[in-house]
Amino acid sequence: MENEIRPPRRYKRSKLPKLVRWIFGLIVLSYFFWRLYTVFIVQNEYTPDIWVRLLISGLVIGGVYSLIAIGYTLVYGILRMINFAHGEVMMIGTFAGYFVFEATNAIRFTSSTGEITSLSNAQPFLSILLAFIVGMTVAATFGFLLEKIAYRPLRKAPRLIPLISAIGASIFLQNLAQLLFSPLVRDYKNPDLIARGQGWAITVAGARLTIPYTGVLTFSLSIILMFALYTMVRKSKLGKSMRAVAADKSTAALMGIDVNGVISQTFIISGMLAGAAGVMWGLHNGLVYYYVGFMPGIKAFTSAVLGGIGNIPGAMLGGMLLGLIESIGPTALGISYQLKDVLAFVILIIILIFRPSGILGEVLSEEKV
Amino acid sequence: MKNFKGLIVVIVAVLLLSACAPAAVNTPAPAEVVPETDKVPAECAADRYGCAKIEPGQTIKIGMGSPMTGGDASFGIDAEQSGKIAVADAEPLHGFSFELVAEDDQGAAEGGAAVANKFVADQTLVGVAGHLFSGATAAAMPIYEAKGIPMLSPSATNPTLTQKGSAVFNRVPFTDAAQGKAAATFIYEELGFRKIAVMHDGEDYGKGLAEIVKVEFEALGGEVVEFVGITSKEADYTPVLTTIAAKSPELIYFGGYTQDAGVLANQMKTTGLENAVFFGCDGTFGTDFLNRAGANGEGSYHATPRTPPQTPEKTAFDEAYKAAYGVGPGELSPFTWNSYDCTTALIEKVGDVAVLGADGALYIPRGALVDAVRGLNNWTGISGTYTCAPVGDCNIQGPQFHIVKNGAFVPVN
Amino acid sequence: MNKNLVSPSLKRGLTFGIVMIIFVLIDLDVMVATMLSKLFGANVIRGSLPDVRFMVLFLILFGMFVGWSTSSDDAKPTTKLFQALVAGLTLGVVLGLFDLILNQLIVTGTDVRKYLAALAPESIRLFLFDQGAISPLLHLGLFTVASLLGSLMKILLKSESASRFFKGVKSGYQGLKAKAQANTPNWVKKYGKFLLFLLIGLLAFFLPRIWGSYNNYVVGLVGLYVILGIGLNIIVGLSGQLMLGFAAFFAMGAYSVALLNAPLPHGIMLGFWPSLLIGILMAVVAAVLLGLPVMGMRGDYLAIVTLGFGEIIRILLKSDLLTSFTGGPRGIQDIRGPTLFGQPFSSDIDYTYIILVVMVLSIIIYKRLERSRTGRAWLAVKEDTKVAQATGVNIMTNKLLALCLGAAFAGLAGGIFAARNQFTGPNDHQLMVSMNILSILIVGGVNSIPGIILGAFTLKGLPEILREIENYRLLVFGGLLVVMMISRPEGLWPATRPNIEKDEGNKLKEDGAPGEGGLND
Repeated sequence: MENEIRPPRRYKRSKLPKLVRWIFGLIVLSYFFWRLYTVFIVQNEYTPDIWVRLLISGLVIGGVYSLIAIGYTLVYGILRMINFAHGEVMMIGTFAGYFVFEATNAIRFTSSTGEITSLSNAQPFLSILLAFIVGMTVAATFGFLLEKIAYRPLRKAPRLIPLISAIGASIFLQNLAQLLFSPLVRDYKNPDLIARGQGWAITVAGARLTIPYTGVLTFSLSIILMFALYTMVRKSKLGKSMRAVAADKSTAALMGIDVNGVISQTFIISGMLAGAAGVMWGLHNGLVYYYVGFMPGIKAFTSAVLGGIGNIPGAMLGGMLLGLIESIGPTALGISYQLKDVLAFVILIIILIFRPSGILGEVLSEEKV
Repeated sequence: MKNFKGLIVVIVAVLLLSACAPAAVNTPAPAEVVPETDKVPAECAADRYGCAKIEPGQTIKIGMGSPMTGGDASFGIDAEQSGKIAVADAEPLHGFSFELVAEDDQGAAEGGAAVANKFVADQTLVGVAGHLFSGATAAAMPIYEAKGIPMLSPSATNPTLTQKGSAVFNRVPFTDAAQGKAAATFIYEELGFRKIAVMHDGEDYGKGLAEIVKVEFEALGGEVVEFVGITSKEADYTPVLTTIAAKSPELIYFGGYTQDAGVLANQMKTTGLENAVFFGCDGTFGTDFLNRAGANGEGSYHATPRTPPQTPEKTAFDEAYKAAYGVGPGELSPFTWNSYDCTTALIEKVGDVAVLGADGALYIPRGALVDAVRGLNNWTGISGTYTCAPVGDCNIQGPQFHIVKNGAFVPVN
Repeated sequence: MNKNLVSPSLKRGLTFGIVMIIFVLIDLDVMVATMLSKLFGANVIRGSLPDVRFMVLFLILFGMFVGWSTSSDDAKPTTKLFQALVAGLTLGVVLGLFDLILNQLIVTGTDVRKYLAALAPESIRLFLFDQGAISPLLHLGLFTVASLLGSLMKILLKSESASRFFKGVKSGYQGLKAKAQANTPNWVKKYGKFLLFLLIGLLAFFLPRIWGSYNNYVVGLVGLYVILGIGLNIIVGLSGQLMLGFAAFFAMGAYSVALLNAPLPHGIMLGFWPSLLIGILMAVVAAVLLGLPVMGMRGDYLAIVTLGFGEIIRILLKSDLLTSFTGGPRGIQDIRGPTLFGQPFSSDIDYTYIILVVMVLSIIIYKRLERSRTGRAWLAVKEDTKVAQATGVNIMTNKLLALCLGAAFAGLAGGIFAARNQFTGPNDHQLMVSMNILSILIVGGVNSIPGIILGAFTLKGLPEILREIENYRLLVFGGLLVVMMISRPEGLWPATRPNIEKDEGNKLKEDGAPGEGGLND
């Protein structure tokens, strides 16, 4: 760097953009602080239990975002491509889980007490487990096929080509699901044990509030899955190969790593996580239709970038953060809930202004980029 | 991989070829009316738009523009299926049968204009049961206006559509104004609530309705503690419901559709709104809501047109729909019955004005048809009784409200 | 006949069997049969089923295709036939088993449409040729024979005599071409291009008057997307910044024209042309506001930020917050069209003229830009940022300039779009619009004007033409995008790029990224 010939002075890189960026960031930040001050100090109309409730919904939805975001980040880390069809993989997982619950709900028999019950109510844990296994398997299969059919032939193509292929695959899968299952917005049949609208009542600051059972299930399961994935990537042989391939494909191949195999396995793993997220989404929110993966996909991609794309803890953090921003943000800033996506994207821009590679992303100097 | 490629190329080639091939068959000579022959009925010469001429062997086409792909596809597919039954039920007219041409307009202006331009190019297309969404309708309207094709929309509720002085546009859904006023009065006077929150799904229909409810309710002296929009089908509304709960409204009014209503009714139970009443609109009425909300939907209110809920004709239609498509009517969208009525009404009016020419062709005076559709008077379909106002609003009755009791709708007013 | 020969053929038969099953599940088989029957002149009314003969024909064609593709190119004729036989038999067995299930559904009268919406009993009967229990055998026989036929066809067409015949035809054609070229008089060579342009100009003038409003509409739509494609190409293709929220600029133009030129919500009625200028200006202002804070972000970060920007604009336009200003989810109606010399100039023909003229102007501007100093600076920035900087190119200014110019084109197209539809609303500016424009570039060929035109036709014209296939059009479209990326990643009509060294194309392909621009990091 020392010996580099400096460009002529009159072409010296302008400091203006950086300045403008900082000014922009500071303006938005001060606006945020002013709004926070207004809502918390001046108006102060919300009791603490409201914030606890918002925190809970944020964590639940954040867990789902995190799981999908990990899929984006894994694929990006290894192939440097945005897997735009990842949301559709989640949609397929949601459908698979839906069919499991339909099936277990259709199997009816007379229980020992003489009541007619369905399998899903008689064996709720079994049917939930089954739904997750099926959802994850089916989504993983589609993730695998997606890579094999739509991305593998493009391994050496310029960056934009796989992106367009992914967009095509996304449109294809959405419409395939629509044609197969009709555009009907279907309803998840939860076992009664975790019926929607039911939950544990707890008391916070003198106020009773309910934590939905589905929320507890979603949050704890997403934490477990994230922990498992993190351990896998850190400790297992596959995880090591994945990191090696991410670092340098050709060197990894020279070291005897089956690069194609590792890439396939990456897609399978991210598909499994997306499938689990899909079943959670269905259980918690209850809606399943062909378009269900689109918005969570975009949100999860945003989370991955927020945390630093290519970075697994970053994706987890980003997902949780986005969930919290979406749920607490509008109330805390006193703006309409319709604008929560605007808020999420503005915060993304702010974070990227101050940390150009995301929160946990590798900080690269602009020259190195 | 190569095989897939080839396969898709072959399929597309076949589709393209066939897409181009029938063009010659479908487009008759551009000269629509040939006045010099004596065979053309006198009605055509007198008509301001001229006549549509249906040659023997051709069908009388009724168009339908609706979103059939994208996030709102369920509305379009439902309307098409419903319209197909209407066409199947129609008696042939002088030996000419009817055909429904449903096109995908994606609910937006771009698609609406594309479909309308395609429809006006087809000389045998005489009326449009649509479009479904207001955006597409607004873009399509001037195109039909120029050609003299009457529209009868099952669901485009944007109030401004009928304020533009269009001769061709008519619709059968409630006006938002009528329903909103009735709902606000009902909540204030019959139910006696004074403190409500108003929500909508951020779309054309739901938002328009919610705005009117808010204005009317405040005019009556009630308090609207929160007026807030959600993003339709996003599925997690707990944060917004939590914030509303902090203002402890007695009732939540929601303008939107069943899918969101079901989710809201469920999520109200875990967000501190256990004791607030859910009040929907005609978009949230349907067995679909009962399935989605289950026990959480008990005690909620919904609206329907003021008709006998189940006439024999409606039962017959419901059975035919279920048999033909495997899903129940009203599950895909709340406009199933409206779509059937729109198509049937158009078909009936075509029958009223059509003239069989001496040359064996059927002549349909377009201007007379436009007037006939606007002149719809005390016409009873399966979704209600319609009389078109001079501006084209054909449903000016107030709504009937229902409460959910023991898993069924019970009329209350 | 070793195992290596059997297993790929088996696999292929199985794959195609699954593909066919999916066809049946989404009712695409009936759709193709309907198309075939239309091709043969039978008029099938919508909603009714085609004759069973056409279903048989479709299955035969499908089987023949399987046979054709299974026979490997370099194998002996007997091997080819054997491969086809194995694939055909597998296909037949797979579908035969599937038929048994379908037949069971028919016999027991089970309605599965609650889950598999397209599986109507009538369509199943049609697929089974209405033969009930013996249909599996019929299908088995049909596919085996058809597959063998396909293989036979390949053997015949690819045989040496056939290839010699084709070669002969080809060389004959080339000879004729050369001869014709040699015989062309000089004046044709000199003015040929000019004459061609004249001819195109005349066609562009007269065709819109003849071919009716629908074709005008489609051509106008394609034209607008060409303008959009050119705009995005300046940003993505020339200056190398990946932009996923281009629809935001489009919306700026559309809403400016709409708000300044419609009775509601403001009733300003400024007139089309001035408001179009303001629309362009607004798009540029938006580009500056977006560009200043995010300039210098790395490729994929820029992509998501621009995507977010597009969504922000759309959500704001739709939100309660701005409803009184933008009309909210209802959008803006009755946008007044342009006038020319005091006369209304807004029929479908007039709009086609406007769009074509603007399109040609855009192409000229683009061509001038590409060859200008700025254009070369953009390419330099895209190819190698560091070297460009060292040679004295101001990165920020150039990137921002590209963003603004691209946005100006989008604003222009948006303004015309809104006026032509007499309506604009938030649904016209969704994320898919941005994706479509980006796809136009990639499908057609980055930095290539003919490519962009071809891409715009493929992406906006083709779905209109494909209207015949109704609900399947987006499915086919999505599949086509993937296939096209795999088979022609450089686009339908790739750029020749005369001002850059020849080996550039190779570099693009092997390295995966065009240097160090915004497309990679």
